[in-house]
Amino acid sequence: MFRNNGGGFVVAEFAIALPLLILLMYGLATVGVESFWFGKRQLADYVLEAEAQSVMEQIRQAARTAREVEISPGGGWVKFVYHVVKDKPKIEVTSLNGHYVFINNDVLETQYFMLYAKSGRDAPNLYAERQDNHTPTNPITGENYFGDTQVNYLKCEVDEAKKILHISLEMESLVTLHKIKFDTAVYMPNYKAGG
Amino acid sequence: MSRIKSVLGNERGFMLLNVVFLTVITSLAAMILMNAAPRARNHQSTLRLTAIYLANEQFAELESLAAREDISGSQPFLGNKDDLTSNNLGANNPIEFKVTTTVSGGRAKVKVTWQVGDDEFKIEMERTIGIVQE
Repeated sequence: MFRNNGGGFVVAEFAIALPLLILLMYGLATVGVESFWFGKRQLADYVLEAEAQSVMEQIRQAARTAREVEISPGGGWVKFVYHVVKDKPKIEVTSLNGHYVFINNDVLETQYFMLYAKSGRDAPNLYAERQDNHTPTNPITGENYFGDTQVNYLKCEVDEAKKILHISLEMESLVTLHKIKFDTAVYMPNYKAGG
Repeated sequence: MSRIKSVLGNERGFMLLNVVFLTVITSLAAMILMNAAPRARNHQSTLRLTAIYLANEQFAELESLAAREDISGSQPFLGNKDDLTSNNLGANNPIEFKVTTTVSGGRAKVKVTWQVGDDEFKIEMERTIGIVQE
């Protein structure tokens, strides 16, 4: 069959090249699969970090102007009452020449951050709510397409003398099981002890 | 077509084909490896974020302290001491953060440093510390 010219050079070449090729392709396939697997885990870690950061920022924002902070004894929720000063244009009948009189209306807003595992899920997510709902509706973490997360704990502690809120948040990715923990503190100039 | 057949029909043609295949395979390998390289886990962004929150903790403490006493000069870390250790690099590899603070002219400079292996990293943040009066 291979009796023609070359004295079996092609067969020898082929016999050496084929195992090498198989080895090379196997190695490439391994690296390729590993890289996709790595990518998937990295996306999940990224989601974890982004969610933890966004939660920290939301709590920081609410705490900065907080007037009252209420923390559930079990650590399930934290409630902030913060004030928003709103300028409301109003025509004062007795004002000179009908000029606008700006009245500072002290508007108090309430914000809850609560841990809640919705039915069919054993991992709790964090929900941001305006009222104490028993079935919260506004999740701010978890169930991301790129990687699900859970909140291990959200610890808030008020130092009343210093008017400082210490925040500790630990979150865990359900894909990589990596944990991330952030600690910070917020000074609350408007805080009134006891509400 | 017949010319291609005649080129591939002898040994030199086969070697030419070999070179072409090898080039394709090598570039494929390079593509896969280049894709994999940036995916090696980099913890620095998480650690930097942890350090930034730590610096913010120090700023909050400084703001609180400024309402009660003069804070000019260098200050120690006033926050929760446990927050200086982070496990965000991995469970068995805790990272120690160091916080140094100097306040002058109502402006606070906070420097947070940490070490991973032999490499040192740092962030520096600056903020004007206002005093809130009752």
